[in-house]
Amino acid sequence: MHTRRYVVTAGTALVCALSLTARTAPAAPAERFLHVQVSQADKDGGDVNVNLPLEVAEKILPTINRGPLHEGRVTLDKDQLQGIDMPTIISALRDSPDNKIVTIRQKDENIDVAKTDGNIVVHVRESGKSGDNVNVTVPISVVNALFSTEQQNQIDVAAALNALDKAGDTFLVTVESTSEHVRVWIDSHSQPQ
Amino acid sequence: MLLLGKIALGTIGAMIAGTGLLCSEGFVDVNVIQHRDSPPHVHVIAPALLAPIAIHLVPDKKLARASEQIQPWLPTIRAALDGLRDAPDLTIVEVSNAEEYVQVAKSGGEIVVDVANRDDTVHVSVPIRAIDSSVNALASRAPGSSDDASFQAE
Repeated sequence: MHTRRYVVTAGTALVCALSLTARTAPAAPAERFLHVQVSQADKDGGDVNVNLPLEVAEKILPTINRGPLHEGRVTLDKDQLQGIDMPTIISALRDSPDNKIVTIRQKDENIDVAKTDGNIVVHVRESGKSGDNVNVTVPISVVNALFSTEQQNQIDVAAALNALDKAGDTFLVTVESTSEHVRVWIDSHSQPQ
Repeated sequence: MLLLGKIALGTIGAMIAGTGLLCSEGFVDVNVIQHRDSPPHVHVIAPALLAPIAIHLVPDKKLARASEQIQPWLPTIRAALDGLRDAPDLTIVEVSNAEEYVQVAKSGGEIVVDVANRDDTVHVSVPIRAIDSSVNALASRAPGSSDDASFQAE
């Protein structure tokens, strides 16, 4: 009798403890997807849609060893960065308030680079009927991860991808031209919305 | 009579177990419809386990080059299959133009490829586990391969 009461009490306590653990256990983070959408303006042109779980890209990238890409890192030529200390520049940008960084006005194109809401935003507007409009938005955390390697002439694409996974839903690249429209974005939907 | 019954039971049990083993990796489904006057229609559904078995039966010299070429890409292929296995069902690539439609998707543990154009409609579905087994079987045939053919991405 006492044994049965003990077993029932212990079992009840165990069930309560398990249910409490289940309620307080953190939910698994939502999976994030990289989407690429290319639409041709020409009626005979084609459309291309690519949807890739970021987790798959993060698993694949470190396994590729081709050309300058090794284990998720790209080694740049010494001249490509021209001695610019990117980590210092990015650190300064991260700590600065939102503002326009660079504005270039030329005969055939206008370029604006700004920091907005924790993102580096680049707008390129080409003049003329066939001019392209290009918008690139990259979270500063991603740019920071990209240049987080110890070697100055190396960028860590795997770390940038990981930072992108943690960033919110964002449009990365949009290109609007007379011949095609290109969109690249990250969200938590497996199919384009 | 009792002995015959036992033999029959054992035989049926062995057949069921063998069928279960053969179907353990799912089925490869290939469906080809040609849009012509008298269109042939090819529809093959085969146990996916046959693919790695068939690879083991092909003579070494026929597969040596393919095995060597796939070796450097093994980690990438395994990472891709591993990631896709855990991913939800989704359309991975979709290409459409005036003449052709191509879709590559992951659906229910399988990679599904659909191609439709004026001449043909093709549907191929292969279990991801079968692709993994086939790739491992192919890689193990490379001359001097140290690859462990029993490795599974799971």
